[in-house]
Parts: sequence; structure tokens; C-alpha cells
Amino acid sequence: MTDYRFIGKSTPRKDARDIVTGKIKFINDVTIPNMLYGKVLRSPFPHALIKNIDTAEAMRIPGVEAVLTHKDVPEWMGGASPLHVRILDNKVRYVGDGVALVAAETEDICEEALRLIRVEYEPLPAVYDVEEALQPEAPRLYDMFPGNLMPPENRIFGPHTLQEVVIGDVDKGLEEADFIIEGYCTYENIPNPMPPEPPGVIAAWEGSDTLTVWSASQGPHMFKVALQKRMGSINLQSIGSPVGASYGSKFMSWQYVLPAAALAKATGRPVKFCYGKAEHLAAFTVRLGSRIYGKVGMKKDGTVTFVSGDWLVNTGAFSETAQAMVAVGCGEAQLMLRCRNWNLKPKVVCTNRTASGQIRGFGGQELKCALTPIITMGMEKAGLDPVDFFKKNYVKPGEDFYWRDGIRWVCRGIDFSAAIDRGAETFGWKEKWKGWLIPTSVKGAKRRGVGVGVHGNADVGEDVSEAFVRLDPNGTATIYSGLAEHGTGQRSSICKMVAEILQLPLERVSVTPTDSRVNPFELGPVGSRGTYAIGSAVIAAAEDAKRQLFERMAQKFNVLPEELETKDGTVYVKGRTETKIPWIKGMGYDSTCMGHGRFEPDFSQPNFMMIFTEVEVDTGTGKVELIRVVGATDVGQVIDPLSLTNQLNGCLGSAGIDSALFEETVFDTRLGRIMNPNMIDYKWRTFSELPEMEHVILETPFPSHRFHAIGVGEITPSPGPSAVLMAVSNAIGVRMNDYPLTPDKVLRALKKIATTKRRGKR
Amino acid sequence: MKSFVHFNTRSVDEAIHLLKKYEGKAKINAGGTDLLGVLKDRILPEYPEAIINIKTIPGLSMIEDGEEKILIGALTTLADIINSSLIEKTFPLLKEAALSVASPQIRNVATIGGNLCQDTRCWYYRYPDGIGGRINCFRKGGKTCPAVSGENQYHAVIGAKKCYAVCPSDLAVALTALGANLTIAGQKGVRTIPVEEFYHPLGNTLSPDEMITAIHIPKPFPVARQTFHKFTLRKPIDFAVVSVSSLIFLDQEICTSSRIVLGAVASAPFRAYKAEEFLKEKKLSAKTAEEAARLALDGSKPLAKNAYKVEIAKTLVKRAVQGTE
Amino acid sequence: MTSIPKKHPPHTLSLTVNGETHSFILGKGPNEVSPSHTLAQTLREKLGLTGTKISCDRGACGSCTVLLNGKAVFSCMLLTVECEGKEITTIEGLSDPKTGNLDPLQQSFIDHTAFQCGFCTPGIIMSTKALLNTNPSPTVDEVKEALSGNFCRCISHYHVLDAVMDVVKKEGNQ
Repeated sequence: MTDYRFIGKSTPRKDARDIVTGKIKFINDVTIPNMLYGKVLRSPFPHALIKNIDTAEAMRIPGVEAVLTHKDVPEWMGGASPLHVRILDNKVRYVGDGVALVAAETEDICEEALRLIRVEYEPLPAVYDVEEALQPEAPRLYDMFPGNLMPPENRIFGPHTLQEVVIGDVDKGLEEADFIIEGYCTYENIPNPMPPEPPGVIAAWEGSDTLTVWSASQGPHMFKVALQKRMGSINLQSIGSPVGASYGSKFMSWQYVLPAAALAKATGRPVKFCYGKAEHLAAFTVRLGSRIYGKVGMKKDGTVTFVSGDWLVNTGAFSETAQAMVAVGCGEAQLMLRCRNWNLKPKVVCTNRTASGQIRGFGGQELKCALTPIITMGMEKAGLDPVDFFKKNYVKPGEDFYWRDGIRWVCRGIDFSAAIDRGAETFGWKEKWKGWLIPTSVKGAKRRGVGVGVHGNADVGEDVSEAFVRLDPNGTATIYSGLAEHGTGQRSSICKMVAEILQLPLERVSVTPTDSRVNPFELGPVGSRGTYAIGSAVIAAAEDAKRQLFERMAQKFNVLPEELETKDGTVYVKGRTETKIPWIKGMGYDSTCMGHGRFEPDFSQPNFMMIFTEVEVDTGTGKVELIRVVGATDVGQVIDPLSLTNQLNGCLGSAGIDSALFEETVFDTRLGRIMNPNMIDYKWRTFSELPEMEHVILETPFPSHRFHAIGVGEITPSPGPSAVLMAVSNAIGVRMNDYPLTPDKVLRALKKIATTKRRGKR
Repeated sequence: MKSFVHFNTRSVDEAIHLLKKYEGKAKINAGGTDLLGVLKDRILPEYPEAIINIKTIPGLSMIEDGEEKILIGALTTLADIINSSLIEKTFPLLKEAALSVASPQIRNVATIGGNLCQDTRCWYYRYPDGIGGRINCFRKGGKTCPAVSGENQYHAVIGAKKCYAVCPSDLAVALTALGANLTIAGQKGVRTIPVEEFYHPLGNTLSPDEMITAIHIPKPFPVARQTFHKFTLRKPIDFAVVSVSSLIFLDQEICTSSRIVLGAVASAPFRAYKAEEFLKEKKLSAKTAEEAARLALDGSKPLAKNAYKVEIAKTLVKRAVQGTE
Repeated sequence: MTSIPKKHPPHTLSLTVNGETHSFILGKGPNEVSPSHTLAQTLREKLGLTGTKISCDRGACGSCTVLLNGKAVFSCMLLTVECEGKEITTIEGLSDPKTGNLDPLQQSFIDHTAFQCGFCTPGIIMSTKALLNTNPSPTVDEVKEALSGNFCRCISHYHVLDAVMDVVKKEGNQ
């Protein structure tokens, strides 16, 4: 393994000092002159027509500059294919849906104005359950979507976007199977990724066609591209800020950017539009609801002969990007399960609750959480150890799968068997695994159990990234990238890559602010693509800049450019370090070298994450405690050890493992309201209750880029929930098929209290 | 937050005078950790006109040792109670109860009086006005309690009729078990009332011009085994799903008498009289603990989603009686 | 500041933040401090001390933690008018204003990358600071207890504990 100067070594984050001193400016820390504040009047009804709105009284309050309703907002549209969400509509589709917008001098004035808007509603029947919504007589949310069924996506990932997994011949798989299992499982607790910083934006117009947006978007450059499409012919300038975390949820930001832009347009002044936490939890995005009726065929040796079933996806009041998430989920199912015969049919359905959106795990976690427990029923019948099963069936080099673009890709990555073995060994799996539905240990009322889950994603090489690297004569390098810092340390990691290539001290490498006026195209740090996709573009740009530098310096040494080397802002001939010439001597003070790099999508190198969990169940109270977590992965080459372990520890949070334990959005289906839109009633993990956490990180080189690394951050939470479900099932000896495993459910399973009917119609 | 008139008061008399003057349209603020949430979410039908800060009243923050009882001023913070060696020695269950509240930042400002007077956490009652409007439930003068057929996983399992909200105070449970009394000052003078009688189904018995000034706790004699167990989904931050506070007076292994109080099962701390009666003169064993637990919850009527609370309460009572974790 | 009314003397309020005393006029005007303003609001909006963050705004997440007379408190759940005469320390007050030298705790957070998005970090550092002020050699469990009211959704908890214990170890050795 190469010993690098920066790569693989822990170095301080570039933004560390600003973070620990409080100097860093998140979007709500920014004010600009003459700025107004914007707020939304939110619907009390889950489904209603707006018959009349009277805004006159609100407009009379001193300090109110604009009140907008569905009658006077621009016709900009949001929602995924087709566009179907207006900024404000004459119909509301969930409690908390926008009814009117106010811009005023202070947030307090906004709030007083909202209370004076008189609205006359005509309530309509509402529907919340995914199967009820599909019934012919169900209330319909959009005229354009009969049966509340979202049409298949055929644009976002190309004309063949994967919208189902239909491969081979299920009948043949039925014949070949030793065991056939039918099962049902739901992951419908719609947990919230709940980043600490609520969504926020400042929008300002110059004239009628130039809009500048400062936002906490995870992908500020991509949303410029996406929004320009939605807003007609305008020039959008997107300026990012540090992201007070996102976990995917602040990638598609039109839900709050479009209203801010509308208010800024109406008032001719900049408008800041930041959600409060209640809005964040009740009127922003949650995970997809996921329900599977599945059938699986398996041989005694763990060969999966077929998978078929209906995957019912509840996207809430609109599709932010649900069909794209289904596409990725369908691809990820194949990475986990080597199987020749598939008939997995998703249906994406709208219902009258706050919308689902993209979240770390992006469709795959939602699918896995419901599908894996059904697969494990097969493992139980076949008497298979789940670790052996996952090891046998996870995609290996040379094997193929259909990815989100509907195209058949062949894996040219690595075999993760070694990571699985090392993970199992570290966890002590062999000693703790006692068989299906058998506890690891019993001590009085306390029963322990273990479970394991797996996840992987080929999106590490998704989409396009571009970057420039500029060398200045004073021996500094500037990376031009639209990459937002959302907590992974990726902006620092690309500096390390460039510093390594140019052999510059890290402090001499910097990144431009995320400003679309300055930087080339960047999709953003999503899908674990930071290391491979963004890294590749930056590496190529640095190599290109270095090549130009050497071309200019070659004449000074009277050698060919290829014979040169650079270190610490000087150039020398390879092997002759006694004569070093500073860059400025070759470049002059009046020139720069600008290298360009571009990454083209490559879905052939999936990543991998396995999570082992041990839980303790108190059978007297039904409480489940997470005792220990071991994660196992192979990343090719570690870029920054501390940033990596941070990301791996992140498996607990952002609607990950804990969505199996206590995280849920509690929804009252009579009122259509979310009952826990606050951080006391929405449960999250505290410092007091940290499980033991350990990671096995292997470094088997990938054929990715110069540093042979791939990313893993996005997928770390996703194998966890089903692993916990398995662990609890084993601890109490009863199969669980519903999340989260609250005391109520555990005590019911133990028959300590009477059971009531489950969700689902069939 | 919507504005109000604000007073920093210097004496109990001044505070009571202001309460009287505003005729129910003023709220007392001590630590503020409950009240500010109520104001920010605008959950009440009438927003208060005035806020009366009582933290500025001297002398109400103290712990005093007496021969037969200990006196705690209403403004004593939970952190002060936790850090008091006197409390730790005499009333360990009170320390445990205080320590179980929220988080260190809250405990540094929240007061014992405020903890007793805090409003319920029922999420229908607390639903924020900004997301489609507050919910006008029975407790706010509405016709029905939406929890009865709704998301009632944290609601009452015993004795509720029109409103199924539970009393969220952990200290009330502990103080009921300890047989504490409250000193209440008001326009008509000073009165004393047992904590056990302080609550009624829709809140507490304070009239609009009254405030708690002190808490008196009799020293248990002979020494009793004290326990406080609070079941929550998470150790910090959470309000009790169920809690049990108990005092068990023992002679060898025989229970001579006991006080067993359940929290978060009803609109007030719930004395498990039947269990107390049963345990009298019994030898403590797994079997007697089991029967005491059954009797403690005898008569409970859980709603569709909170039967698990009854089961957890039984487990906690059983463990309290047996003296196990 | 807005003009002072002629007839009545204005209600003023003085706050001591990071060792400096600031005076405000109480009122509803845009440059005044309203009785309903929280300390977090005043610190951020009137004093520009935006290192104190507001996330839940209901006393649950700890992002707004500051020191009030040395104790950790939620500045989102305190009225500014009730903080008169108290010593307030914010994250901006931890490093030396002249030299820019960091508190050892801040340096240790940098060394351990004890954050990811960094939004909750000031609150976490302030809670830890309050603990170390009264207990310079805490156990890991005492640190966890002191931080039990601080949210971190990225799960940087493990690195935070390493960073804090490293300071405890180093300071103890001195």
C-alpha cells in the first residue's frame, strides 16, 4: 500500500477553526441589507379546496410587504416527473400544506399577519393508507394521477429508468426452489432525517430575470440547473452555505426556494425564508413509506431462485423524487441478492400527509427494511446463517445487475467477502449466533439477540462532476468546485487529494465558495459519490494543471515536461532535488495554470456496508437497548480516517438504525396531523445511551481513480434497521415485521398485552 | 414570540398583587422551561397579557433542615436539589426524581415549584398553532378529548373521564410518596395542602391569584427503603411513560407499611392504596410483589394504544417492591 | 438605538456577555429588545453572536447552550429581560479575543474532528466547558451525562468523547 503524505492520514478539517469558534455562518446566520422575512400560512385540513381567501386585514399591518395566495404566485412548478406541485394551489393536500405566503420586516410581524388571513375551505375526504389510496373510490389528490398512482419515471435517469425488477422467469424459479416463502413487512414509520438546521434560504432578484439564491442546499449547483428548468427562462445564481446537515433532505430545495423567490419578486426586496423546527418536522420531507407483499424461492444452499412481490411506496402529498428513489432501490436489491428471476413491482402512491423526500439510503433503505425480513424467513426455513447467506449472495466482480438507468452493468469492483469475515470475527458472530429466533443469552427478564444487515450502492460513480484547479505562481492551488460541505469533510478531502498530487502543504490548497457564478457543474455530495465521482474530477483537474505547469517549467530545466516533479511550490527534475525552482520563476507573476477535470458516470463499482447488532430486550417492560454495533466495509483507500469513522458512526442517526428502535413520525389518521413535530416527542439518540461501536475498514484497491478509493458515507445507516429487527426477533423468539420496535410492539409480541389488527389490507 | 408586559417582582405580595390585577391573564414565570414553549407554540386560546417573573423574589431558593421536616423553597432549582447532600441523605428518591428530569441545562434553571405546576405534555393539547392551528381539546374548553380514539400511547390508563392527559411532573410523584405538603400564598392568605391533593383532572388547584412558595417534606421515621423508577424511551430529555415512587418501611423482611405512587398514568400522581394495604405485614417475595403490582393497577382501563403502560407499571411496581432494578 | 421617549425614562437593560456590558432599550421597535425576546434571539440578532444556534427552539436540543454565571443553560428558553446582571459566556467568548488563542477544548475538537456538520458543536462545547469548570477530571460517564441535553444527528458523539477525555487527560497531567 502506498504511503501518502496526506491521503490516509488524519488532518484537521479546513473549516474546523470556524466551527469550534462559532464563526462559521450557516444560512440563518446571514443577513443582507434591506432583507425581509417570509412565512407560510399552513393548512388545518389534510385535504380541502380553498374557496376564498381574504388577505386585506393582514396587508394592513405595518411592516407587511406582501401576502401571496394561489391566485398570485408565479406558475413555477415542483415535484418529480411530471412536474405537479405549485408553490400554492387552490387545493391543500396535507395538514401543513401552504395556503398563503407573507413577507414582512420581522418574523414576529409575519406571524401576526398570518393570523389575520381569512380562509374558507371546503374539506374533502382524505386518504393516508397506501392500499386505500389505490382503491377506485379513494379520494384523489391530483386530477392528473388517477388512483393516486404516480406514473413511472422515464427522464431523470434516461429513457430506460429502472422502475421495476423484472428479469428471467419466476415460474422457473418456483420450480427450482426448495423452499417458497410468502411474507409481508412494513417500514412505514416515516422517520425524519431531522438535521439540526431547519431548511432555509435567502432569495433576491436583480431586475426580472436574475435571481440569486443563498441556501443550505446539499447540491447548490444541481438545484440551480433543476430550478432554472422549473422557473422558465431566468438566470439563477446559486450560492451555497455550510449545510447544518442534510442527509439528503436538503438536496432538492424547491419546496422552500420557490416561495422565497416568489416573495422576493413580489416585494422587490431580498427575502429570508427559514423554517422553524415544527415546520421542519411537520411540513417538510420524511422517508418513503414502504410496504412489501413478497414471495421468495430459495434452495437449501442459500441460492435465491426467485423474488417476486408488490412494493407499495407511500410518497405522501407529492413526489419530490420518489420514482428516482424506487429506481435506485430496485438496483440495490440486486446488489444484495444474486438471483436470476425477479418480478418486483413497485407502485408509487400519493396520500394526504407531508411528502416523502430523498434521504440517505435513497429508496434502498426503505426497500431493504421491508424486503430483508421476508428473505430472512427463507434463511430460517433453510437453516442458514444470515452472514453466510449475505456473503454468498452479495454482488461480486464479474456479476451483473441492472442499475437505475435500466442498463445492465457488470461489477468490476472488489469482492467484499474478506470484509464480511473480518466483521463477523470482530463482532464475535459465531459465538453469539444461536440460530433463528433463539436468544444469544437470557438473564432474568433480559434477553439478548443478534442480527445482521447488508447494503450497497453503485451510485458511488453516479452523474457528472466538473472541477478546475488553478495554480498560482506563489505556490498555492485553488479548487473550483460547487461542492457544499454538509458534514462529511468532503471539501477538506478534495484539498487533500490535490495537495497529494501537487505535493503542496495542505494549507496552500483551498476551495472556492460554492457559487454557481464561479464554479463548473457539480451534482453534489450524494450517494457516496464524493470520493470517486467528485474526487475523480478534482484529481483530473489537478493533473491537468500540473501538466501545464511542467510544460511551462520544462524550458527552464531544458528537459521534457514528463521529467519534472513538484514539491512545496517548487519544481525539479526527478531524482535531482538539489536544483529546485519556485513556480513563480517559471510562471512569472502574471500567469496562472488552470486545469480542468470531468467525471463521467460509472456504475460498475458498488460499495458495501454490513452492520452487526446486538440488542438487549427487557421482557418486563418491552424496552429494547442497543448494546453493540460493528460495521464492516472496504473502501479501497481511506482518505481521512477521522472523517470516515464519523460517517460510519452516523449509522445510528439520520433515520438510520434508530428508526428500528424508537424513531417515528406519529401520525393521527383521523386529523391527518403529525403529533410529534418537536424534538422532545420525536425521539433521537442521546449521549447517555451510546452503544459500543466498532468498525472494520479494509483497504482493497478499487479501479476507481489514482487513490483507488470509493465512498461509503451515504449507505452507513441503511443495513441497520433490518439488522435490529432480526436481533430483537431472535432475542424474544418472535418474528417482528413492523418498525420501530417500541415497548408496545415488543410486549404484544410477547403476548403480555392483547394484540390489535396490523396495518395493511391483505 | 408574541410580546407581553413583563414584571420582575421583588416579593410574593407583589407577585400576588399582579396576579390579582390581571385577573387570570397573567402567568408566573420561574425557570421558564415549560412556559416559554407554551407561549411560543401559542397553544392556549388566550395569550397572556403579562408575565410575572418571580426569580427576582429573594429567599425562595433554599433547602432548610428541620427536626421533623425539610423545607424547600419553591424557586430551588432541580440542580440545587440534586447537589444537596441533605436531600441525597434524607430523600434519595427525590434526588433520583430530580435527576430524571430533562437535561442538565434544564435542571440548572427549572425550579421545584415550576416542575409541580408545569402544564401537561399531551400532544393534542400541545399541538403548535403554526401547523394548521391549535387543537381545541376538552382541556381548553372544547367538547372532546382527541386522545380517546387517537394517538393515546402516552395517555392516562387510570381514572380519566373527559380529559386523558397525564400529569407530567416527576417531582410530584416523588413528593406524593414522601407525603409532602405545599405552602401556597394567595390574595386570601397562606394555605397548606398535601401534594397528593394538589392536582385535579384538568390541572391543579391553584386559583389565578395563588403561587406555591415552599414544599415541606416530613422526614421518614423509621427509615424506609426509597425508590424512584422512571420508564422512558430515552434516559434524558423524555417525560415519563410511567414512573413509580415508593417508600417501603421494613422490619427485617416484613413490610410494616408502604407508600407506592405511580406517575404518568393519570391526571395526578396515583396512590396505589390497594397495593399498599395488601403489602402491610407481608413478607416481601416475588409472589407478594406480583400481587402488589396487580393490585396497584387494579381498575386500570387502558385505551387502544396504551395497554403497554399498564404492563410496564406492573413491572416497575414489582421491581420497586422487590428492590431490584 | 432608537430615540429616547421624552416623558418617561426608558426601561433599559444591561447584559454582560463575554465580559462586555451591553445596554439595550426595552420595547417593540426594530432596534429594541422586546420583553418576549429570548436570550438566544438577543445574542444572535442584537449582538451578532451567531455562534449560538437555534434548532429546536424548545429546550430539547442544546444547540443554543451558553453559560449563565458559569452554568450551562438553554438560551432559547430564557427571556433576555430576566438575564440582567448575569454573566453570560457564548462560544465566541472561549477563545482569547486578542491573541485568537483557542481554549484547549476547542483545539481538541479540531484535533479529533469531533464534529461533522458543525451546527451543534458550539452548544456541545459550551456544555462541556460548564462541566470542566466545576469538575476538571470527569469520567466518561460524567461527560455523557453533562452532554445528555445536546443533540448531534451526524453522530459525532464518539469523537466528542475522545476530544473531551483527551483534554481531561492532558490537563490532569499538567
